[in-house]
Formats: sequence, structure tokens, C-alpha cells
Amino acid sequence: MINISHLFYQYPNTDNDVLKDVSLTISPGTLTLISGPSGSGKSTLLRCINGLVPHFSGGLIAGEIDVFGSNPIIDGTKEMSRKVGMVFQEPETQFVYDIVEDEIAFSLENFGIPRKIMHQQVSTVLKNLGLCHFRQRKIHTLSGGEKQKIAIASALVHHPKVLILDEPTSQLDPIAAANMLDFIASLKSKLGLTILITEHRLERLLPYADLLADLSPDGRLESGSPEEILMHMDQVPPIISIAKQIGVKPLPLKIEDFPNLELHRELNIIQKDPGEINTQTPVISTQNLTVNINMTKILDHIDFRLYEGEIHTLIGKNGAGKTTLLRSMMGLTPYEGRIQIFSHDADELGFRKVIQNLAYLPQNPNDLLFAESVLVEMQITLRNHQIHREISEIQGFLARFGLEEVSERYPRDLSVGERQRTALAAITIHEPEIIFLDEPTRGMDYEAKNTLKDQLIEWRDQKKAILVVTHDVEFAALIADRVTILDKGEILFTGSPKTAFTQFSEFQTQTAALFPETGWFTPDDIPFSK
Amino acid sequence: MRHSKAWIIWLVVTTVLLLTTRNPVYLFIILGVVLTLGTLMAKQKTQQPWLKPNLRFLVTMLVLSALINTLFTHVGESVLFTLPDQWLLIGGDITLESLVYGLINGLVIGALYITFNIFNLALSIKQITRLIPNVFHPIVITMTISLTFFPSIQRRAREIKEAQLIRGNPMKRISDWLPLLLPLLITSLEKAFLLSESMTARGFHNQRDQFSNRFLAISLIFATFFIFSGWILRLYAYPFLISFSFYLLSGGFIVFALFYANRKVNITHYHRETWSWEDVLSSILLVAAGATWITLLTTGNLPSTAYTPLPKLLLPKIQFQGVLIFFSPMLPLLFHHHD
Repeated sequence: MINISHLFYQYPNTDNDVLKDVSLTISPGTLTLISGPSGSGKSTLLRCINGLVPHFSGGLIAGEIDVFGSNPIIDGTKEMSRKVGMVFQEPETQFVYDIVEDEIAFSLENFGIPRKIMHQQVSTVLKNLGLCHFRQRKIHTLSGGEKQKIAIASALVHHPKVLILDEPTSQLDPIAAANMLDFIASLKSKLGLTILITEHRLERLLPYADLLADLSPDGRLESGSPEEILMHMDQVPPIISIAKQIGVKPLPLKIEDFPNLELHRELNIIQKDPGEINTQTPVISTQNLTVNINMTKILDHIDFRLYEGEIHTLIGKNGAGKTTLLRSMMGLTPYEGRIQIFSHDADELGFRKVIQNLAYLPQNPNDLLFAESVLVEMQITLRNHQIHREISEIQGFLARFGLEEVSERYPRDLSVGERQRTALAAITIHEPEIIFLDEPTRGMDYEAKNTLKDQLIEWRDQKKAILVVTHDVEFAALIADRVTILDKGEILFTGSPKTAFTQFSEFQTQTAALFPETGWFTPDDIPFSK
Repeated sequence: MRHSKAWIIWLVVTTVLLLTTRNPVYLFIILGVVLTLGTLMAKQKTQQPWLKPNLRFLVTMLVLSALINTLFTHVGESVLFTLPDQWLLIGGDITLESLVYGLINGLVIGALYITFNIFNLALSIKQITRLIPNVFHPIVITMTISLTFFPSIQRRAREIKEAQLIRGNPMKRISDWLPLLLPLLITSLEKAFLLSESMTARGFHNQRDQFSNRFLAISLIFATFFIFSGWILRLYAYPFLISFSFYLLSGGFIVFALFYANRKVNITHYHRETWSWEDVLSSILLVAAGATWITLLTTGNLPSTAYTPLPKLLLPKIQFQGVLIFFSPMLPLLFHHHD
């Protein structure tokens, strides 16, 4: 049993409590889902369970924690690591060795377990998790999902009672993420583990959660059964928001639990306006675009078009070639075939001409930010493009992103959402016509996603051409005017979001799954009470 | 040959052989041996070219060493030509002897480099780090990580550079690289922080207590004291046996301290290396070759090692025992096909 009572915690050199009077009781053998917006202290709470907070992080802590008879605040990380296994967000950053079995044995070596028993335990965990065939593999040859499974095996090899996972799927594509979450849920029944998990994609985990603990931005915690807590939460998955609006009780946690009300027969089926996209001349087009990297064909004869005034989303599994398509259009990867930008050959235009009209947000917005303030970040982009702007003009531009208050702050000290908006402002201050975004919703909460959505729609209305590469199907459905699905380097589909998000089962949204044959694919499509 | 300790013996014997002679015939023998050994091993272990880069390094060393020695040392009887005296440092006679002396030095440096390269080729990162005593476990882990960390840092550098390029940064002047270096430094630090968190969560901990730390430090001081005492006594022509016992004492202190501190560290290792008969046999033969060499050297029974081209260039002499011993680094080759 895990018992936390009246826990307060403050990071070093800060004045406010990240956790404020948090109390939580978790029964053995249950799965607890911890939700809350970015920066609300979810990861901090997890780290209190194994003593990383405060022993690794420092800071001030008050209150009581009991984890199966141990007190992490007193016992420290070494003692707690025997009882608690932990898995982190990024699979890559948690590995020490290069071979799977060596990596799994790492904790056993630290505990001084005799070699013979070590070999037995490694075999057992690999067998239990169905990973025997990976034993001798080099870790860097595994996929993201496989790496995360190895991380879980490494955390479980010494039979801890508790497994804590800090957003374990944030780096995975939707299919790998779904597999991973099913896998984690299966561990509860298989190994009798007590599992605590933080996750932005609530929709996947809700059916498995015994307890939902919701942290508010001010560090307070509310816990209870998922049905109970979800009733008070503002930011919820589509299925819950639909159920709330229709008034379904108790709240259905998975598609199958949704009552078959024949609702869609009562509601009028509306056809969404496909929007006005000027498909006369594309802003960017590719013809027979083929890219080979290390003798492997990554893109195979791609004909792709991006028009002005559209938000085009590019979806597909990991390794489908999405990022390569983006990079080749920016002139960063050698290619065969033809790429035209504003009806000119990209080769003839040259790199500098291309980037004057193009903005690119990398997967990790931190890659862009290095200056001492948000304002200076803007001036750097302007200087790169040899454009002069008055400070007041720049301040006005920042206001459009809601950044006027933080213009003097150090960008890396801002929240995840603010940091991304700073990066977005920094790449678009020279008013480019084309905007590329690579996985912009990674690690973002519902609120930050909404802000991003509004920004993208504003740009579309200004007739900019926007291409969004994303794994986030629900987000893609909210913003897309057109969708391209890439699969193994080929275009599987290009066309309306309706077809993409209702006909392709791998990319089906929750709304589409709830109301088949209606053509609805986002909660906004449903004509409630009309 | 596979065992890391057998390879350590090979490394020590080969290095001692290389460092204790200037006889070019012996040096050429050992160079031929390591080049053959390296080429054969590389063929089996990696797809990357091995011989060419090593030869390139060897030739560079030969040229550099010959050039520097010829220009700055003006000793020897066979004058090739003379540079004006007023030329600072390089002015004076340019002699054939100093040219040869430089070439021999280059040969030694090149052969040493190739020897260490072979050692690297023979053992994996984990095998090499396992040779470091448990008491330095944190250092071992740091080394392992820095070697596995590098590729991911390279990838990050590329991503950041591309993002900044598209943002309009021309990446031409040195100051343009700041937008690459700063985010790279910060992300590397963040990654290092995350990794250490993950390691702490899996029981990694500096296991050395206060006492073993102090014990190690004191032993090191004693060991240094005895080494210097032995050396100074040797300088004042005291019998070799006295300074030798001081050296032994010093080594004993270090070994004992490490042994003691090691026992205090409760860490086990997942892999165990086993000695094959090839490992045992080649280790014995290598130790025998090394011991014979040292005995012959100290008793003065091997004058052919003491070759020097100064003051007048003469052809080096060779002795049968010397040739035989210098072929001993070839031993791993005899058991090569078993690897």
C-alpha cells in the first residue's frame, strides 16, 4: 500500500510549492493514473515515491510518505530502488549499456546480486514480458516501442512492488503507444504490480485505471474513481466530453461502454463544409520525389501538393517517411525527382531564397531557443533575414502569441506551451508564406493544444500554407483541411479529413468510432441539442 | 585469444619490447607482426578499413619525427649539408645520423599507436572497462556512457543545425555557431541529468565510504613516497636490489589498498570471462618471452638491443634470441582462427 499524507514540496531556489497538501492512498495491485496540465507536478509526485525527490533533486519537503513500509524521505533512493521500478519519458536517455541483457542486469549489478541468480532473473523478466528474442540485441537497433519495453524490463528485473511510469508513450506513434499502454495494463494482472502512471493521452488508459488522481496547476490533488473525477475535469478526452454533453451516466471509459442510444438517428447528419482551398497553383509541389538513405528507399515517387490557405496534416507510422518528406522539401536531404516552390524549381531558387518564405518548427522547440530573452530571439531571426523592425513592432507581434508579458524572460524558463509559442513566433516573425511543424503537440496538455489550434487557424485565415506532421490523431482531426497518409515511403491516401479519420481504422478518432456511418470525426461535428 | 587479461599481458609485453630497443631490425620485425595481426583481426571484427589509416599515421610519424630531429639535432659524422648558423635553432650541420635517429623514434611511436589500436580492436568497451577495479565503478560507468552517448549527441547536433539553418542562420562565421553550440550544450546537460536520474532509480550509487576513500588516499601517498625513494637511491648508485624492494613496496601498497577497497564495494558483474586453453598458453608464452627479455637485458647478454646510429651510422647487429623474442607478439595470431 502507498500512503501519502499532507505532502508539500518546493524545488530548490523557488518560492512556490509544486505539491500543496497532497494526500493519496493507493491499494496494492492497482493502476493509478495521474493527470493534470503541464507543470502541475505530476512527474514530481512520481519522483516522491522512489525518493528521487528530494534526494536527487534537493528542495524542501514536508509530510508523510509510506511505500510498502518504507519512507522514501528517510530511506533514500538506494533503498527505494529495490521496491520501486521507474520508467522515463524518453527511451533513449535512460540506457547505460548497448546490449539488451546488459542493460536489464544493470540494477542487479548495483545490488550485488550473485551472477547465477542475476542470469535467472534476467531470463525470467524477459520471458514474463515476452522479450526473449531481444536478449542479445543492440539497443540502438530497436524501435521506440521496443526500447520502452526494455526500459520496463530493466525496471522490473529485481521484482519491485511498485512500477512508476512518467509519460512512457510521449515519444511513440499512436499504434506503438496503444500497444505500450495495453502492455503496461497487462502487467498489473500478470505480475500483481502496483502501477502509477502519468499520461497526457487519458483516453487510452482510462479503461484500465482503478484510481484517477488529478493535479491542478496550483499543486492540489483530487483523487477517486475515474468516473467521479472526470465529472469535474474541464479538459477531457473526446468520448468523455461527448458523454457529458449528452448526459450519459455513469461516464463510459471506453468506446464499448458507450450506450447504444441510436443517437445519431435522432441528430441530424450534417456535412461539413470542405472549406475553400484554392487548388489552382500549389505553393509547394513534388513530382516523383524519391529519397534513398544508405541504400534504403525512404520515399518512393511521391507526388505531394501543399496549397495556400490550407492546414495539411501528414500522418503515418514511425518510419513511414514523414520527416524525410519534410526535410527534402526544405532542401536538407538529397533527392531524385522534382520539387517546385511557388512554381520555381527548388534547385534553381537556392536554399536562401527558399527559407525566406519558409518557417520550420522542429520536434523539440528547444533546438531553436538560446538567447537571453524572448525579445532577443525575435531580433535574431530578423537579423538572420536582414530585416529591420522597431522594438514596438516586435512587441506587437509577440502580443499576438500572448507573449508580451514574458518578452524579457529567459525562454528556457517558460512553461512548455509558452516555450513552443516563443519558438513559433521566432520562426514566423519574418512573415513566411509556408509553415512546417514537426510533431507540435508532443508533451503538451489539452489547453496548450487548444492555443496551438487557434494559432494555426489564424495563420490559415491569413492564407498561409501550413503542413503539420503529427502522431496525434485527435489533434490532426481538429485542424486538418486535408490529410495525407504516408506508409512505407508511399502515399496511401490524400484527401478529406473525413475519409482519413473515419475510413482508416489505424487513424480513426474516438468520435468516428462512436458514431460510425455519420461521417463525424470530432466532437464539434456532433449537432448536440439541435 | 579472447580473455581481456591475456590481452593486457600481450599489451604490456609488446610495449616493453618496443620501448627497450632502438634496433631498427627488431623494430621492423615487431611492426610487421602488429600490422599483420591488426589486418587479420580487423577483417574479422569490423567492416572499416584498418591498415590504411594506421599506415598513414605511421608514415606521418616517420616524416614528422625525422624532420624535427634532423633540423634541431646537429650531431653525427656524415654531414649531408649545412644550414647557415644564423638561422635560429635549425642552423648547423644536417646529418644522416640524426635523420636515422628521428626515423627510429617515429617507428617506435607508430608501432606503439598500432599496438594500442589492436588492443582496442580485440576487446569490447565492456571488457576494457571491466579491467578497472570495482572501487572505481563510477568512473567505469562514466566511461561507458560517454562512449555510448556520443552518437546521440551527434544526431542532436544535426537536428539543431538544420533548425537554425531554416531560421535563416547562414552558419558561416564563428559567431553563427553559437545558436548550435548553446542548445546542444543545454540538451546534453539535460540528457545527462535524465540519465543519472534513471541510474539512481536503478540503485546506482557511489559505494565508496569515507573510510575507504581516506585509506586509498593515504596508500597513494605512501606508494609515491616509496617510488621516489627507490628512484633517488638509484640515482646515488645504491644497489639495484634496494631500490627494487622500494618499488615492490610501493606496488604492494597500491595493490593492497585497491584490494581492500574493492572488497568493500558490493557490486557484481553480469558477465564472467573464462580462460580458454589458448588464452592460458599464449599468456604463459608471452610472460616467458617478456621475462627472458628483461633477464637478457639486465645481465647484458643482448648487446644488439643497444643500437644507436650516433655518432657514426653503422649497420645494426642482430641476435637469434632477440629475433625470436620480437616475434612473440605474434602469439594471438597462432590461435586466431579460434576467435
